[in-house]
Amino acid sequence: MGNAMMARKANTPAKPSASPRVCLGVITKAHGTRGEVRIRSYTEDARAVAAYGPVTDEAGGRSMTVKILDASNGGVIARIEGVEDRTQATALKGTKLYVPRSALPDPGDDEFYHCDLIGLRAELVGGGALGTVIAVHNYGAGDVIEITRPGRKAPVLLPFTHAVVPVVDTEAGWIKVDLPQGVLGARDGDDMDVPVPASGEIKTARRAKGERN
Amino acid sequence: MARSVWKGPFVDGYLLKKAEASRASGRSEVIKIWSRRSTVLPQFVGLTFGVYNGHKFLPVLVTEDMIGHKFGEFSPTRTFHGHSADKRAKRA
Repeated sequence: MGNAMMARKANTPAKPSASPRVCLGVITKAHGTRGEVRIRSYTEDARAVAAYGPVTDEAGGRSMTVKILDASNGGVIARIEGVEDRTQATALKGTKLYVPRSALPDPGDDEFYHCDLIGLRAELVGGGALGTVIAVHNYGAGDVIEITRPGRKAPVLLPFTHAVVPVVDTEAGWIKVDLPQGVLGARDGDDMDVPVPASGEIKTARRAKGERN
Repeated sequence: MARSVWKGPFVDGYLLKKAEASRASGRSEVIKIWSRRSTVLPQFVGLTFGVYNGHKFLPVLVTEDMIGHKFGEFSPTRTFHGHSADKRAKRA
């Protein structure tokens, strides 16, 4: 085997593993002259980028060990093993850092990683499909799951509670949803107490009912 | 006595009626409200409100910690799409 062939083989990224991976952050820029980088962290605690072992790039071919040096605005300053100068650090700009899903510790009772919930099929308790979970939010009043329905533009937002989501089976890839009243719009056939008024009719409708808002 | 003490918490009247009706019916429902300015009262604990943010009704499950805050605080009007990474959701 010639040298050229050897070099090509060494640079070819390894085949990505089939197991799902989680993106923990992205290298945004070089920091200083000694090979440090700034990382925008996507984790709950910014420093947790380095907490789950070595990370890999998007292709899965390069494994990197990250050592956190300091926190910075919106992320962390870190050193990556084998990166010694600014040129090498600049070359890593834009690299996303992944770990296999199996590297994350088991969540607690009745806790689920967002990455496990997103993509699950939502089925109604009474039978029938509702849609697919596309996001999980928390605005300070409990977790909310967002479900998109085929053929509908507006997603459905549901509280992530035992009453509304009685069954979550992440391995089988589905959740059961007991749809509360008032979630779907009037056009979806839901019997809401307050019909959704057309644009410009809100004040009129409320005045007629003697309500202020 | 401070003005805010003798005046008491503000809440839109219709919201109280809706909450009472929902509790009396005993069924699982999301009470759609537009009143972001209303204060969360102790009698709302356990109910789920859909608080309008100008775009959609965000479900707000009222807990004891939320008493005294306004409904609008839990239904942001600006879009923010965060990243999931290692974030967890707890089923209440």
